[in-house]
Amino acid sequence: MPDPAPLQLAVGERVVYPNQGVCRVVSIETKEVAGQRLNFVTLRREEDGAVVMVPESKVQSIGVRKVAGRSEAERVVAFLRSDSDRATLDWKQRARTNVERMSQGGILGLAEVVKGLAVLSELRPLPTKERELYDNARHLLVAELAAALDGTPCDAEDTFDLVLFPPGRERPKRTVEEFARPPEEADLEAIGDDLLDLEGELEPQTEEGGEEPEEEEAPTPAARPAPRAKKAPAKGRPHPKSKGRPKPAAKVRHPVKKKAKGAKKR
Amino acid sequence: MIRVVTFEPQDPKIVERLCRLLYQAFGVGCDHAGEMPLPEGHPPFDAEALARAAPSPRVYTDDRLLYLTTRPLRERSLVSGTAPTQGFAEYGGRRALVSTAGIKDLEASLKLVARHAMHQLGHCWDLHHCLDPRCAMYPPWTPSFAAGDAVFDTFCREKSEQKIRLAKS
Repeated sequence: MPDPAPLQLAVGERVVYPNQGVCRVVSIETKEVAGQRLNFVTLRREEDGAVVMVPESKVQSIGVRKVAGRSEAERVVAFLRSDSDRATLDWKQRARTNVERMSQGGILGLAEVVKGLAVLSELRPLPTKERELYDNARHLLVAELAAALDGTPCDAEDTFDLVLFPPGRERPKRTVEEFARPPEEADLEAIGDDLLDLEGELEPQTEEGGEEPEEEEAPTPAARPAPRAKKAPAKGRPHPKSKGRPKPAAKVRHPVKKKAKGAKKR
Repeated sequence: MIRVVTFEPQDPKIVERLCRLLYQAFGVGCDHAGEMPLPEGHPPFDAEALARAAPSPRVYTDDRLLYLTTRPLRERSLVSGTAPTQGFAEYGGRRALVSTAGIKDLEASLKLVARHAMHQLGHCWDLHHCLDPRCAMYPPWTPSFAAGDAVFDTFCREKSEQKIRLAKS
């Protein structure tokens, strides 16, 4: 959720640019671009000195925020210590959530990505893309935590790794059952997705509650048999009114189409 | 290039073997730059302060310094607890420090020392902790870390790729 209060920046202040890391405000100046006079904030990334200029009006919408404080760092540690936020096993949903957390989640969002993927790696090795995402999130978290605690990156990384990799103990092996979500939570997630997509608003009124899980469970197999079902009656070229021909196939066709539509909607 | 600096007298053969292991791991040259006086202070030393105060031999811009000491290092008190400290590194910097305190037979435990050295030097090349227990960048306070083998390159595949990209660029 974006902060409603406008972000006031001053020269020399440290800020965090989403997905880029900790930057310092170098200057705030007015420039003329395409006949318009705009205020630009110039940020220099601390890691490598890369410079970026952002129009002042866009600073907040981009997601630039002030560096977290000590209390937020302590909240991150408390979150990492808690037994919460187990990543979903649905890779699409996980990828979408993680990208959102990286860009808009603040320091806690970075911690959520790191923890979620670290816990998931206890079940199975991470795929390459998620491994990269994990490394990026870790890199950004180390930099911001070091800035928040006013310490070295070495101490910052050890701060959260002491929780993720407790001393003297091996990491546990996880099972798929541990990642299973309670049905209420899964329902809430499904509703959340629908609201985000703004699709299927009328579905709950027209459909009965019992049909939904069936559609969700197997959207792909429902979509695949459709061409076969079309071909089957064409083979024998039956008379449309003939009673001996396989009517069940025609009956099957309707639910298949419906299911395919339902699958596309989602 | 990696320059190894010792604070106390060490067997030259052991230091040479350590240099060879580091050369194999990083693919960049490694040599013993000599012995330097230990900065003033009382053990256990603060790892960060010791690494920063240590005198430097003559080095080139992209050289990395590995300080080796037999003195114990003080455990660090962090927000999440007390961190066992076997060494220190400047992330993306030039200095790393490894302590051999608590190791009685350095020759027999050289692989473990080399693994710690690889870990700290890896931080100098901006590598972070890894999820793979076989990798030298796995957190050093875990039981798996000591069980690893530092005969050859023991970074995991991803870290190896990163390391090669960063060390040779």
